[in-house]
Amino acid sequence: MTTVVRAPAEQTRARYPDEEGYVERDGVRVFYEVYGHGEPTVFLLPTWSIIHSRHWKLQIPYLARHFRVVTFDGRGNGKADRPSGVAAYTEREFAEDSLAVMEATGTESAIVVGLSCGVLWGSLLAADHPERVAGAVFIGPAVPLAPGHPERNVYSFEERLDTDEGWARYNRHYWLEHYEGFLEYFFSQMFSEPHSTKQIEDCVGWGLEMAPETLIDCQYALELCGLERFGDICARMRCPVLVLHGDEDRIRPHAQGAAYAEATGGTLVTLEGSGHAPHARDPVKVNLLIREFVESLERRPP
Amino acid sequence: MTVLAEVLREQTRARYPDEQGYVERDGIRVFWERYGEGEPTFLLPPTWEIVHSRCWKMQIPFLARHARVVTFDPRGNGRSDRPLDYEAYTRREFAEDALAVLDAAGVGRAVVVGWCDLGESLILAAEHPERVAGLVLIAPPLSPNQVENSVYSFDDVLDTDEGWAKENRHYWLRDWQGYLEHFFSESFSEPHSTKPVEDCVGWGLETDAETILAGFRGWDTKELDPETTAALCGRIRCPVLVVQGTEDALVEPKRALDLADALAAPVLLLEGSGHGPHVRDPVKTNLTVRDFAGLAPEPRRWTRAKSRRRRALFICSPIGLGHAQRDVAVARELRQLVPDLEIDWLAQHPVTAVLQAEGERVHPMSAELANESGHMESESAEHDLHCFQAWRRMDEILLANFMVFHDVVREEQYDLWIGDEAWELDYYLHENPEEKRAAYVWLTDFVGWLPMPDGGEREAFLTADYNAEMIEHIARFPRVRDRALYVGNPEDVVSDSFGPKLPLIRDWTEEHFDFAGYVTGFDPAAFADREKLRAELGYRPGELVCIVTVGGSGVGGHLLRRVVDAFPEAKELVPELRMVVVAGPRIDPAAFPDLDGLEAHAYVHNLYRHLAACDLAVVQGGLTTAMELTANRRPFLYFPLRHHFEQNFHVRHRLERYHAGRALDFETATPAVIAQAIAEEIGREVDYLPVETDGAAKAAARIAELL
Repeated sequence: MTTVVRAPAEQTRARYPDEEGYVERDGVRVFYEVYGHGEPTVFLLPTWSIIHSRHWKLQIPYLARHFRVVTFDGRGNGKADRPSGVAAYTEREFAEDSLAVMEATGTESAIVVGLSCGVLWGSLLAADHPERVAGAVFIGPAVPLAPGHPERNVYSFEERLDTDEGWARYNRHYWLEHYEGFLEYFFSQMFSEPHSTKQIEDCVGWGLEMAPETLIDCQYALELCGLERFGDICARMRCPVLVLHGDEDRIRPHAQGAAYAEATGGTLVTLEGSGHAPHARDPVKVNLLIREFVESLERRPP
Repeated sequence: MTVLAEVLREQTRARYPDEQGYVERDGIRVFWERYGEGEPTFLLPPTWEIVHSRCWKMQIPFLARHARVVTFDPRGNGRSDRPLDYEAYTRREFAEDALAVLDAAGVGRAVVVGWCDLGESLILAAEHPERVAGLVLIAPPLSPNQVENSVYSFDDVLDTDEGWAKENRHYWLRDWQGYLEHFFSESFSEPHSTKPVEDCVGWGLETDAETILAGFRGWDTKELDPETTAALCGRIRCPVLVVQGTEDALVEPKRALDLADALAAPVLLLEGSGHGPHVRDPVKTNLTVRDFAGLAPEPRRWTRAKSRRRRALFICSPIGLGHAQRDVAVARELRQLVPDLEIDWLAQHPVTAVLQAEGERVHPMSAELANESGHMESESAEHDLHCFQAWRRMDEILLANFMVFHDVVREEQYDLWIGDEAWELDYYLHENPEEKRAAYVWLTDFVGWLPMPDGGEREAFLTADYNAEMIEHIARFPRVRDRALYVGNPEDVVSDSFGPKLPLIRDWTEEHFDFAGYVTGFDPAAFADREKLRAELGYRPGELVCIVTVGGSGVGGHLLRRVVDAFPEAKELVPELRMVVVAGPRIDPAAFPDLDGLEAHAYVHNLYRHLAACDLAVVQGGLTTAMELTANRRPFLYFPLRHHFEQNFHVRHRLERYHAGRALDFETATPAVIAQAIAEEIGREVDYLPVETDGAAKAAARIAELL
């Protein structure tokens, strides 16, 4: 079944940015948006470039009524540039882009919110610039602190396969030849909850805004990045951390979120029955958890 | 109207201190208590000496489950000394007492929660910042600006004692109680505040006008002056929250707002609240204090709606075992209708004994519940339980238990809450309707508090006031009870009025309840072959068996002895008589005489089978046992407990409708009267109305509609 024939025009937003712009680093431009005013700032980070900042669409209108919200399209998708080459997509590049967006938007410090791979650059930002990260909410962390799902480890990404069943579709040849088929499969796994058609359609649409070649660069960059040092990065983080992880996450096991919370001294909230993107599938609960966390930092209990 | 005829002994607490002691400063001893362990610590200082530390009774049990709580009695009241020297009562002395108490209790730093703080908490927070982590000021009267205090002179002899003219030295000496009643009626301006007023008047009567006058020369000298207040406010650096009722008749709300301004502190305005919201709206106040202290992190687990199992929480009153039996029967029927339903029980002894025997799941938080049946027993005397007053004197326990419930449902998602005479749940849900987060079913077998004749006008006023509050609750928030189920039939409801200008109980109940019929918890068809049952139980043909049973508490000892005294005469009248006395765990069966045809047992297994087989039963006036006998068509004598309005009016009305049993008055029933009644009733054919057997199924069907 084909979910999306082509990337549809963006649907009407509940709220449009009060300010937007580009920041450029080494000739690569990323596109940011600012919603609302005042303090504190909630900074919604990009995740893996397979989707862009619209994946926060169910957070922005609510959070922006209570806080200032900054988000941006990460390199590779949305209104950001699509440089070619693996080196452009390392976790450090995303962390540097994030810092550049903070500079450009006059954001001294923020509570960062990240999804999946976004936790890698979010952690790097918090560890290297503790004065700029007052707290972190990380959803479904894709972190090398616990083994991944074994079924995702069966097939080669590189080799041409004689099957395209299941995770065999996580393969560069399949991407290049059946990109949309891959997107549909991947997001059907991301949203393991029943009745997730709209969420899957949205993500497939955003995925179609980039080319598979770019996604392949991103994939190699993730494989290359210095993940063996990730535990040290966590150890250097000082800010309060809230981790949300679904116990039915088929992309990244709950154990990774649990290990990340442990490594950062953070609080783990387990979302029973949730998949990899609860902010899209259970937005009310996630919005309330984010707000409560941000306000708890503000309140500083006696 | 006089609120209190006498100072009552302290009512049962929901929680007793883990440590207590005295600190002594300049020869004056101050009594303190500590509850609970761990950090943070809450210090609940007394307000001025008009009351003592019991004014925090609604906060202590809840806060102490989450943290450590320290409180103390003010010099001049409670268990503290009563110096007669004016200088002993300055705010600085109170602050120094607080420091000494913190030292004695081994507390470094505390969140201070003050009620009507006249300055001691400000002194503490400003001058000892290392000891004060945060400050919650409830209804603070202090102002950084000049304010008018009173139109009446405190020292002159006045020609009136109307209203605040009672705040006068001469009036105090003449009628201290009159002043207390005025002061606290004004403090609790919310309707239906009889209990808080009585409590505070009672605490005020633990001291006297002479002591109070030693420390009081008018408000201008009692509380800190505006300049000092402003200066202290400027020095306070800890987080502060001001909590103020808009209807505070003692302290103009503007004062609290000005004080909050001077402290740069947020204000929680409680609309409609008077001067003591921690007493009158304890749920809201407790949750506010908890959140202020950052005590309640969000639960660490959330289950998305579609992944949730279907779950119900059954809250079963422990007062009388009948609730347990009928609730188990209802739960059983409910599972037939909703097979995937999981039921947890929030319950305490003796209900838990029945639940465990039935294999039901008792929620582990049940262990945190304060004991209600023990309180009821402590309120009883010789065949006497004033259950309305005993229930009122349980307000602290009921609130503490509501807060346990609140903690449970904050952590865990239930589809349905079922409360069988779970007064705490029903009352506080109507007082805090925003806390209702599941479907809710209320079950009861009586409606309406009724005064006992010897309670006079005051008791008639009180019962009507409680009835009015309940009627207003239901009228204003009909959404709180999704089902209200009466365990019985419309005709079982008494025909009395709820009180002056209130509806008739029967009319109102028919409008607001569904009727399940009686729920027996057993099937009388199982006992249809009575001869076989008697043989199994060891009763011989030709014997006339009389079972005497008074339930598990010690309240029934007097009745048992009275009936045993009647045995010799009864045996003469009824030579075939075999009397079986069930003494229960609290009464020693060896204390009864060794007579032919009389036996006493501490415990009888499956007592209900013996009751089904007997020729006569002698019981108290409790509904469950009487209705079991009615359903099994056994003759019985019953003795309603004195002052027990439910047994004397509600149960009796129902039994009379069934033509069941014969009521005897404990007051007038001599052994000879009892012997005569035994002879007349034993073995008699009865003409009772039949008791339905489908009550549990009907109740379950109505409940299941909510799932």
